[in-house]
Amino acid sequence: MKWSSFKYLTKQGLHSMVQNRLMTVASVGVLTACLIITGIAALLSVNVNSFVDYLSDQNEFEVYLNDGADQTVVDAFVQSVSGLGNVAEVEYVSKAQAVEEMRSWMGEDGDLLESYAGEGNASNPLPASVRVRVDDLELLAETVESVKGLGADLIYDVQSPTELSSVLVGMKRAVTYAGWGLVAVLGVVSIVVISNTIRLTVFARRKEINIMKFVGATNAFIRLPFFVEGMAVGAIAGVLSTAVVGGGYYALLRALENPNAAWLGEFTRCMWPFKDVIWIMLGGFVLFGVFIGGVGCATSIRKHLKV
Amino acid sequence: MIRFEGVKKVYPGNGNTPDILALNDVNLHIRKGEFVFVLGHSGAGKSTFLKLILREEEATEGRVIVNGRDLSTIKQRDIPYLRRGLGVVFQDFRLIPTMTAYENVAFAMRVTNIPERQIKRRVPYVLNLVGLTGKAHSYPAELSGGEQQRVALARALVHSPPIIIADEPTGNIDPELSVEIMELLQAINSVGTTVVVVTHERALARHFNKRTIMIDHGEVVTDARPKRKREVTFK
Repeated sequence: MKWSSFKYLTKQGLHSMVQNRLMTVASVGVLTACLIITGIAALLSVNVNSFVDYLSDQNEFEVYLNDGADQTVVDAFVQSVSGLGNVAEVEYVSKAQAVEEMRSWMGEDGDLLESYAGEGNASNPLPASVRVRVDDLELLAETVESVKGLGADLIYDVQSPTELSSVLVGMKRAVTYAGWGLVAVLGVVSIVVISNTIRLTVFARRKEINIMKFVGATNAFIRLPFFVEGMAVGAIAGVLSTAVVGGGYYALLRALENPNAAWLGEFTRCMWPFKDVIWIMLGGFVLFGVFIGGVGCATSIRKHLKV
Repeated sequence: MIRFEGVKKVYPGNGNTPDILALNDVNLHIRKGEFVFVLGHSGAGKSTFLKLILREEEATEGRVIVNGRDLSTIKQRDIPYLRRGLGVVFQDFRLIPTMTAYENVAFAMRVTNIPERQIKRRVPYVLNLVGLTGKAHSYPAELSGGEQQRVALARALVHSPPIIIADEPTGNIDPELSVEIMELLQAINSVGTTVVVVTHERALARHFNKRTIMIDHGEVVTDARPKRKREVTFK
């Protein structure tokens, strides 16, 4: 196809959008509505996921050591734990550090523990410990077992939130599957709805297509203006839905800037920043819209080209 | 130009309705530069005859050859190129309602990738030829039946096809305009273009004294060549 023909057909496609403005408005409206619903589902999914990720990042377990353990054995134990898979960070907390941490946690009442403070204080009842932070929460229970295996004689007790971790893992999985499942279902619904709307547009212009065939137009020549029209409808719907969903998200972030409840504050901190979301959303919506519009047009017209 | 060799066309029934035999053993040859009327009543097989030439339908048996292309073996992607060699004027005009008269005519050139400069030169010339100079920017809905027919004729002519086919070209217009349209077709034929007029009007065929192929019940019943005018000699 010559460049001049391509230019002419592209112009025809855009011109036809204006001429058939009622159908254009209907197609843009339907696609925008579908994209808004899909966008809300996607935003909800990524933000809940991010919150669950944040919660799981807080996860660590503590290994309490027997009093009187040889420091070289303890150092070797810490070294071995660091070398385990799924271990992100290991921190040794001596008996004296444990007292200091507790004093700081107790604030003004921390003075009550003054008599236990100091390195080598024999009256200090708190045990030394090793804090282990894990990479993958799903493997927490296995990591705890591995650590126990490394120093069975050395370990007095292990405190790990394995139950909480399994709840968080389950929650994350549920949010991921449900969220993206919802996005996929809405995406399919969007494709069906928009291709039906486009089919109506094409059906209304079937005579035009028929005439084109009889004057010797090739299928590509007939298809291109419809394709351009579909893609333009998709792009407009993409921009409109970004404006609506992005605007709503911005307003929500502003409203949650100073939350009353502490947990809400935590959640707000985990939400995706507006400037990160908006460009991904714009790109995603426009590409999805253009794809649906273009493919919808190309497939809807096929039936009418068989003349 | 157009050759039918033992052509049979059957439209299959759908269980409740029987098969319809639309054309049966049609043999004819329309040569370059001829002016031919294809005459027949409604349901005689004229439309099928036209559809086979345009390759809208495929022959059940036999061969249809148009401009040297055998339509029983033509590939789907070559059909547009076959149609570019035919200028067709339909009874219902078949103009694109969203395009002006100029655009409708230019469209037939655009599909063949003709440069814009050439289109701008050729379209006004053809519109002038059919007497529509002042109506170039009117939409089909703003034109009378006769004017729409002339736009359709201009569209058929604009890319100078070797064959013009007119399906009931006078069916939707006044008798006076009918003569005008037929005279235009004759003028086109006089420069070497093959013209096939499909009609049910016997009087029209008689008036113009051209080769007339009559179809009845799907069969060619007569194929009459024009009578020579008696020569008058003066002593």
